[in-house]
Amino acid sequence: MMQRIWTGAPSLQRRLSLGLAIGVTAMWLAAAVAAGLVIREELDEAYDSALQETAQRLLPLAVLDIVERSAGAGGRRVTPIGEHKEFLTYLVRDSKGRILMQSHDAVPADFPDTPAHGFRTTKTHRIYGEKAVSGTIIMEVAETLEHRREAAIEAAGTLFLPLLGLIPASLFGVWWFVRISIRPIRSLRGAIEARGEGDLSPIAASGLPAEIEPIADAVNRLMERLRRALEAERSFTANSAHELRTPIAAALAHTQRLIAVSKDEAVRERGRHIEAGLTRLSSLSEKLMQLARAEGAGLIAEAEQDLTTVLEHLVEEFRRAEPENARLRLTAAGSLVSHMDADAFAILLRNLIENALKHGDPEGVIEIDVSSDNVVRVVNGGAVVGTDELKRLRGRFERGATRAKGAGLGLAIAQAIAAGSGAELTLSSPATGREDGFEAKLRLPE
Amino acid sequence: MRVLLVEDDRLLGDAVHEHIADEGHAIDWVEGIADAEAAIHSTPYDLVLLDLMLPDGPGLGLLRRLRSGGDVTPVIILTARDQISDRIAGLNSGADDYLVKPFNLSELSARLAAVSRRYAGNPNPLVTLGDIEFDLAGRCVYRSGRPVEVTAREWALLEGLLQHPGTLLSKTQLEERLYPFGAEVESNTIEVHISRLRKKLGHDRIETVRGMGYRLKR
Repeated sequence: MMQRIWTGAPSLQRRLSLGLAIGVTAMWLAAAVAAGLVIREELDEAYDSALQETAQRLLPLAVLDIVERSAGAGGRRVTPIGEHKEFLTYLVRDSKGRILMQSHDAVPADFPDTPAHGFRTTKTHRIYGEKAVSGTIIMEVAETLEHRREAAIEAAGTLFLPLLGLIPASLFGVWWFVRISIRPIRSLRGAIEARGEGDLSPIAASGLPAEIEPIADAVNRLMERLRRALEAERSFTANSAHELRTPIAAALAHTQRLIAVSKDEAVRERGRHIEAGLTRLSSLSEKLMQLARAEGAGLIAEAEQDLTTVLEHLVEEFRRAEPENARLRLTAAGSLVSHMDADAFAILLRNLIENALKHGDPEGVIEIDVSSDNVVRVVNGGAVVGTDELKRLRGRFERGATRAKGAGLGLAIAQAIAAGSGAELTLSSPATGREDGFEAKLRLPE
Repeated sequence: MRVLLVEDDRLLGDAVHEHIADEGHAIDWVEGIADAEAAIHSTPYDLVLLDLMLPDGPGLGLLRRLRSGGDVTPVIILTARDQISDRIAGLNSGADDYLVKPFNLSELSARLAAVSRRYAGNPNPLVTLGDIEFDLAGRCVYRSGRPVEVTAREWALLEGLLQHPGTLLSKTQLEERLYPFGAEVESNTIEVHISRLRKKLGHDRIETVRGMGYRLKR
């Protein structure tokens, strides 16, 4: 199975994974931020109400204390019960702003100059003021904003910390899930890629997701149409061959009857001319049919097969046709397992062998050998063919410097079939390991 | 011998029919599968010439039905299709040989003779009985090394007797081999041919078994 590396083309998997991961992460973060803000709001409220509560609780005590001292000079500090850092500090002042009382580590500078009722926020503190004795005594409780910030940060920390683990986990989860979900697409791609030129068997569409199944169905319909077109073309060629050959066969047979029964030598001579003409017509029409076949489709079969049997049959046919064809030597050591269509292969080899019989040394042996790696060589003796000549031989209707009869289509047909089926045809002269002769080497497609 | 030609092309069929009849064989010609089956069931043929593309179906179908029914009559396929896979399929379906159209009539005769020799279990075309030598491929007879002139009908009769030397062939069997359907056969035709052959090959070469038939003496 060939793995294609997708470069440039956007990958669905990458896109989905990235998109989902970024989306999920953004959602997580947004949720966390929103939660943080809400928590902060709630914390502020809680702290504010604690501040207010404290002020309201402390105020009567402070008033009592102040009244008891009947306005002693200067503000007094409340003696602390042991050393401790106060989160809350307070200041009791009269309406003029004179300090009547303060907590032990209250810093008057932290407080605004004029006391006021209600909540205020300075740069560093949150302050709540409560009035008593008809506004003559005002108690302000201050809390450092820092303290609140710490609390908020702590809360945010507990909120965000799990995300550090959760986000990568969800990213991995998304990636893995996308990968799993995309598997049918992969297998579909594999199935389509596996369909070669010849293999048009339907792709199994069952078990595919609803979005992909139509694709498989469409591909199957397309392949079915292609298959029908190929079959139509193939049967058309076969039928035209039939339609053409039968009348030629009839004319030839009648001509031969005429030669057999006629007592008149002149008539018999005429008959022999017609016979020769018909034979030529027949071989030319056959070559044209082969060419049509070679340039059409259907050069690749659905299934692999061993073409050795076909080759043996072909050589046998040659041997039976002409006594002089006994000089064909077939050595089949290897196998020829290929997807090439058997008939196309036969036409190709027939042309190579005919070429060797026609143009090679008329007395020499023609070697047809199959080496083990899907290679057939057809070798004949005879004069060396020059390089320019070799080039020309591949053109259509080209004939080498020979007096042999023939339409000159043979090698062109062989070339066309080789090109159309993915086989590789190499013509060389002199033949491999010899000083003379001509060699056609055919390497079959897998 | 008795030959059945199954060919739908009138022109070609006509020439082949005339050619084979000329060689002294009894030939029946039908143009479709249905008629071919009817003929095969009613007559013992020595050989069938079968075209592959017939108006009422593929010739291979008929061949497969024959073979699966245990009929071993030799069949030569005539095909106009230049597809080697068709020919291989034909052989695999039980054909004995095939000819690709267009073919030479002489080639047809040679194949006919070769196939029927193989069928008789005697692929060697030369048969020697005493001082008589038969060349089945060349269709000629030698007596003490000298060629003997025989007519096409006489030759066909000899071929029949030669296929199973020493076996009796009845007069009816010999008539069936020599004359197709609808041919007017005089009641003493076979006797006339036999007596002429005896003159040419020696009187005791062909034995008559009264009321049973004739046989070649080994």
